[in-house]
This record gives sequence, structure tokens and C-alpha cells, in this order.
Amino acid sequence: MSERLPEQPLVVNFEANGRSIGRYCCSMEMLMGKAKDIRMMTVYGYARLVGFDEKFALKPDILESFEVEEGRIFTLRLRKGHKWSDGHPFTAEDFRYYWDDVVNNEELTRAGLPQVLLSNGKPPTFEVIDDHTIRYTWEEPNPAFPLGLAYPRATYIYKPAHFMKQFHPTYSDRGEVEKKAEELGYRNWAAMHTGLGRQYRPENPEMPTLQPWHNTTAGPSKRMVFQRNPYYHRVDPDGQQLPYIDEVVLLMGSTDIVPAKTGAGESDLQARYLRFDNFTFLKEGEGKQGYRVLPWRAGIASQISLYPNLNYKDEAWRDLFQNRDFRRALSIGVNRNELNEQLFFGMAKPGADTVLEASPLYKESLGTSWVQHDTELANRMLDDLGLNKKNAEGTRLLPDGRPMEIIIESAGESTEQTDALELIRYHWDELGIRIFTRSLQRDIHRRRFLTGETMMTVSKGLNIGLATPDLNPEELAPVSPAQPNWPVWGQYTQTGGKAGEPPSLPSVKRLLELYNAWRASTNDAQREAIWSEMLEIYSEEVFSIGTTREVIQPVVINSKLQNVPETGIYSWAPSSFFGVYRPDTFWFAE
Amino acid sequence: MLKYIFLRFLAMIPTLAIASVLIYTIVELPPGDFFESYVAELEASGETIDPKKIEYLRVEYGFDKPVWQRYFTWVWGMFHGDFGYSFEYERPVSELIGSRLFLTMLLSFVTIIFTWVIAFPIGIYSATHKYSMGDYGFTFLGLLGLATPNFLLALIMMYFAKVWFGTSIGGLMDPKYINEPMSLAKFGSIMEHMVIPVIVIGTAGTAAMIRRIRANLLDELKKQYVITARAKGVPPVKAVLKYPFRMSLNFFIADIGSILPAIVSGAEVVAIVLSLETTGPLLISALQSQDMYLAGTFLMFLAVLTVIGVLISDIALAILDPRIRLQGKAHK
Repeated sequence: MSERLPEQPLVVNFEANGRSIGRYCCSMEMLMGKAKDIRMMTVYGYARLVGFDEKFALKPDILESFEVEEGRIFTLRLRKGHKWSDGHPFTAEDFRYYWDDVVNNEELTRAGLPQVLLSNGKPPTFEVIDDHTIRYTWEEPNPAFPLGLAYPRATYIYKPAHFMKQFHPTYSDRGEVEKKAEELGYRNWAAMHTGLGRQYRPENPEMPTLQPWHNTTAGPSKRMVFQRNPYYHRVDPDGQQLPYIDEVVLLMGSTDIVPAKTGAGESDLQARYLRFDNFTFLKEGEGKQGYRVLPWRAGIASQISLYPNLNYKDEAWRDLFQNRDFRRALSIGVNRNELNEQLFFGMAKPGADTVLEASPLYKESLGTSWVQHDTELANRMLDDLGLNKKNAEGTRLLPDGRPMEIIIESAGESTEQTDALELIRYHWDELGIRIFTRSLQRDIHRRRFLTGETMMTVSKGLNIGLATPDLNPEELAPVSPAQPNWPVWGQYTQTGGKAGEPPSLPSVKRLLELYNAWRASTNDAQREAIWSEMLEIYSEEVFSIGTTREVIQPVVINSKLQNVPETGIYSWAPSSFFGVYRPDTFWFAE
Repeated sequence: MLKYIFLRFLAMIPTLAIASVLIYTIVELPPGDFFESYVAELEASGETIDPKKIEYLRVEYGFDKPVWQRYFTWVWGMFHGDFGYSFEYERPVSELIGSRLFLTMLLSFVTIIFTWVIAFPIGIYSATHKYSMGDYGFTFLGLLGLATPNFLLALIMMYFAKVWFGTSIGGLMDPKYINEPMSLAKFGSIMEHMVIPVIVIGTAGTAAMIRRIRANLLDELKKQYVITARAKGVPPVKAVLKYPFRMSLNFFIADIGSILPAIVSGAEVVAIVLSLETTGPLLISALQSQDMYLAGTFLMFLAVLTVIGVLISDIALAILDPRIRLQGKAHK
């Protein structure tokens, strides 16, 4: 076994979270949807160069160490003797190959460097110091770099050179390589190199990996089998190599019957495609069908949020939406306790659209900002805005005499959202504001808010309920046309000013400044200050109206499965769903 | 007759050409493209993706070219057996459809046989015992099958199959057989899982079939020759089956044209509810995610089958019923 481990394996800390030493055995089945869900194995496996631990601190994982100077010089040291899943050494050569022959090869990578390898638009200089040490040096700080390596969908800056070279004309005869591409049905050698060398979607069973389990099934199949990686770099405190579980099987099928199949005990570890409304049904089969339901919590900042569109095309409304007091009045007009009782049996928490209590950045003032239910104050605020005229039905009138009717659009993702709007309709009736709802197809909806046709959107809140200073605060600033509250401003940032418009509100400008400051930051203290200020602004200004949070996410596990935390936060980033809870330490008891 | 078939073949070419243009237009119509819906779907679950990568994919798959150019590339490819590329599965379309076709045909074939086996005897009984208790009873049952929403019936049956017989939920076989080669046990598992979809899809079609057989047979039974035969003492069963029943099958032969495409794409909704590995769900999800070549090729495939099916039923009708003319002029 020592042959198969690096000289310095990563010893997983079992004490910190009360894990038990396991035994080797068994196959773990999970239910998935489409073929591309194979990527969940990479997300759950969560072997990264640097990764988040359960306290959401960034720690070296595949790397032995990771040194940063001035926030711009990154030195990465590999573990001596670390091997790919096929037994070939994992060395600096794999990084050099990626840098020289993949990302800087015109034919292979026409899009240029991935974003995290650019700081202020400039590439790094890359050096190989020795077989186990590499260095990236940027001219300016690049805090997004370690984050990009730790993300569930990581940026891979290494490739198994010994395996990939056979598909690369620099190392193999070009004619041969082109012929092979044609035989396999690829357009050219570059498409073949990309297609056979995927790391995030491990579809090629030949492709070596550093993840705890490697794929053995050439797709497309309804049953993907992943076997233990015999050269995996983590061990338990007794020195036993992880993972404990022999094989993981993904069963692909229709996502609609996942709750039913799970309730029949057909999955050993399932949270994907289960929702809060399945909770009671799943509880019913608990024990009888040989599984347990663990009440994890959703990691999004607000289960249901309302986003007034600050770029709405109608001027009168746009001025109102851009007015802080109007957004605040709408927010305190919502009776969050009632939403919580009616939709989540009182098991969630009312609150604003901001970080969760589990986040180190949480402050009481953020979560309670403008979330009290105070119809009287809301009405007074609306009167003060000059909206004090009403028609015969009691609907307030805009200054130009039109009745105040807001159309709220959704991407029709969940019945939760439509149910919530039914309740909010009554809450806002008391403010003299009428709402109408529309469900649209997701793409069409996105297109509409970008062209300013959408007044208000109902959707999920911020994804990063579990923010840490290391994470990118992009969701709080206008950076993307996919943001329903300021799509046009976001588009301006994303396209570098080619499309959209620059933000006109001082507070939004400030958010953008802070976001840029984060991207140039060099240490944690700076990042923490930036995050705090951004969260403060976002909550005070009520750029999105949050309602309820910490909704239960059912996690169903086989009753014999050990080391799965009883409670956890289920989120994409930073926890990588199950990733940071280390599925390689899960094991089946007798 | 041969000349007729040849002419019909020639007529197929413009028909399919128009169909291909229509299909491509329809698949192109929704705003946005696959990559946009892909990004939106990822974002809905909190995933992020480098916008550069999406731009790169767009160019890679030729989405920067004008629509007509992409259409011709697609059609030209189809002549060479290249049906385009599925973005969702990241592999050629031909591989995807092929693997699901067998199970789809098996399921549809069994379903059609099931429908016939039930509908024919009942239809004949209903026609010969018009307005009897049996006629009403069967008709009522048939209409009940027609009226129950398929997906609901499927869900209920799936639940009870699990509770009473321990059949795994959804799919066309037990998960453990999925990558196995065909064996007796695997075939048994397929058959076990096929019961529910066959009953669900079958009951929906039976009622219509029964009514049509009944109506057509009643028309025939009133005719002079049947009465003559009965008067001359031909046994009742023979008197019904020998000619009137055969004559009443015209509608049935005419239906073959629509049966052929139904065999490869029947009952999408049920297939989705039951999570069957058939072509229906593949087509629906391709349309939803704007995986245009997969959806387009599939629809084209159905168009070809429909045209062939119509030809087959025309020829069959001409052979079966001498009263049907090949040319539209009356022969004195």
C-alpha cells in the first residue's frame, strides 16, 4: 500500500467532526438525471489542488503546500510520490503540459486563458522550479486564483500529460492523430483532445484522475460505475487509504421519479432532486425502507426572493424601483412569518436575502434589515413618496395617474414561488399595490429582464448563503446580465462596456468598486472589510427582497451509511454539496 | 401498380424536403440557443461557468454562421449518415437514437398487439350484440380507460407494483441489468417492467379501437349479402368473420400509416412518468434544452416513417379492397 500512497499523504481529521474509522466494502448507489450529471462525481469527490474544509477555510488538498506572496506570487508544491489513478507519477510536467500545450496552444484553446488565470486581463508567468514545485506570478494580486482551484467546478490547471500526449500533434505524428480523430468521429484533433480529456465530466474511462473514484463505464449508460482510485492521496488517522467505499454507481433516469424511488429505498445517498415538499413523504418510509432522512439546510440566502428590476423600461416605475425607500416599503409589507408557516410549516426562518448565520460574515443587523412586518410604516413611507392618491378600489396611483400594478415574473421553477406570491398578493393589497404573476420559460424570462420588459422577478436568493471572505462577492455587484435586479448594468460590466449601461445609482457604483477592490486584494483582512461593506449596502438598500431561509433540504441515506453529518449545509459553493463533508470517509456498517 | 408505387416514391422527395425546412424552422424558432438554456439551467442550481467557454462552444458548433447555412450543413450531413451532434450528450446523434430504438419498438409492438387482442373480440361482440348489457359494459370499461389520465394511472400502478411485487420503480429493467448482456433473467426483468406501460398505453387506445370496429362492422352487417348468407344458414360466426369483418377492416389498414411513427415515438408522457429508456423522453428533453440537431433529426426520422407508413397502407388497401382505385377516374 505504501507504494500506492504519496510520501506525505493527507491525513483527514476525524476527531474534529466525530467521524469513526470505517471498513472497506460495498457499492453505493445514487440517483441522477441526465447524462451530464456525471459531473456530480467530481463535485462530491472534491479532490482539489486546494479545497475548502468543513469550516470553509481554504486548505491545500492535492497539493502539499500552497504559498502566496503579495497576493500575486503563488508557489504550488506537489506531494512526492503522488500518482494518477493509472499509477503514473503526478508531477510538475502535468502542469507544464497544460500551460504550454493546452491553454497556450492556439488550435486547442481559441478562447484564451480561463478567467482565474488572468489578473486585470494579464496572464501570469509560469515557472517549473523542480519536479514537484511550480510557480505562477502575476503583476497584480489575483485572489480569484486559489478560489478557482477550489470551486466545485474547478479550473483545472493540470492534465495527465503521459495520457494526453498520444492525442497531441506536438508529441505524436500529426497524420496519425488526425486519423484517430476521424475514426472516433471528432471534427479534428483538438476536438478529440478536449473530448477525451475532460476532467470535470469524467466521461472517458481511460482518462486517469486524482479523484477518490474513477469512471469505468464508457457512456452513455443508465448505470455509470465508478471504482475506487488505488492511488488516492488521503488516509484516515489509522493510515488506511481512503475511500472506504469500493464503488459508486450513478443510476440515470427521469428526475421526476427520484423522490418516489428514494422513498422506496433505492438510493444510498440522495439529496439531488429532493425538495422540501418531499420531506413528509420521505419521513413516512424512514426505517421501513432501510433509510434515514437527515434534515440538512439549504445554503441559499433566501428560498424565495423578489427582485425589482432597476433597469425596467418604464420611467415612472424605474424611478420608484431605484428609490431605496420604495424597496424598503415593499419589503416590510411582506408578512414573512405567514410565509414560513404556510409554506414550510414554520420550519424555516424569516429573514433578508443575505449571508446565513453559519457564515463567518453574518451579523444580526444584516439578517433583520427591513424584514419586520409593519404595514402602517410601509403605508406612511409610500405616502411620503408622493404616492398618496388612490382610485375607487383603493389601489394607489403613480404620479401620472396610472394604478400601481406590478407584474411579477418567474421562471416557473417551483410551486413554492407561485404559492408565496399568492400570499404576498394579500400582503401588498394592504399597501394599495396589486400584483399579477406570470410564469415563463427560463430562457425567455432571462431575455425579457435584460431588455427591460420585466418589472419584478421572483427567484431564489443569493447562492452564497455561506460566504467567506475567500469567496468571490460577485453576486452582490452588477457583474452579469443574468442578474434580475440590474441586468443592464451587469451586462455592461461583463462585456467591458461593449453592451448595456454603466450603473447610475451611487450605492450600486460603490458595490462595483468594492467588487473590483476584492479582485485586487492581497490579504484576508482586506477581503473581510470589503465583504462586510458590500453585505451592509446590499441589505440596507434591499436590492432583493428576501423572505425565508434555511429551508430544510432532505438528505436521505442508507441506514448503514456512517460518517454522514446529521446536519449540514447543502449548497453549491463553498460546500460542493457533499464535497466538503468528505464522501471518501463515508462507509457502510455491517 | 409498379408505376403507381414509383410515382408515389417521387412524390415523397418534395414532401420530405418541405418537412425538413419546417422542422428546422420550428427547432430554430425559440429565442436563444442551446448554450443560453444550458447556462440558465446551471445558474438555477447555483453553478457558474466561464462566459468565454460558452462563446468558444458557440463558434465551435458553427452558431456564428447564418441559419440557412446551418440548415444545408445539416441536410447535407444526413445524406452521408451524419445526423449532427447532440450538445447535451456531447456525442453524435446517431449513437443516441440507435440505442433507444430497440426498446421503444419492443414496447410499442407489444402495446399494439395488446390493444388488438383486447379490442377485436370486444368490437365484434359489441357489433353483433348491439345495445346489450355486454355492449354497454365493455364500452363503459373502454371509455374508462380512455378517460383516466395516463400519467396518473401509471403512477398508481407503479406504486402498487412496488408494494405488492417489489418491482423497482421506473425504467424498463432492474438497475442491475442495465450494462449486462441480454440474458434470460434480463429479458424477464424487461417483461416485468413492461406490464405497466403496456397496460397504461394500451387501455388508452383500446376504447377508440373498439368503437371504430363496432361502427364499421355494423355498417357491413346491415348489407344485403350478410342477410342473404344468414338466411341460407351460414353459421353465425362464419357469417360475421368471413366477409363483413374483413370489409370493415378498411379503416384499420388506413391506420397503419400512423402506426409506424407511433411505434418509435409513442406515449411520451407515460414514458417520462415511468422513466422509460425510450425515445420519447429523449425527444422532449432535446426540445426543452434546444438540443436542435437531436430534436431535428428525430422529427425528420418520424416524418420519413410517416411517409413510408402512408405508402404501405395505400398499397395494402389497394390489394385488400378491389373497390379502391389507383387513379381517380371511375371505370365503367
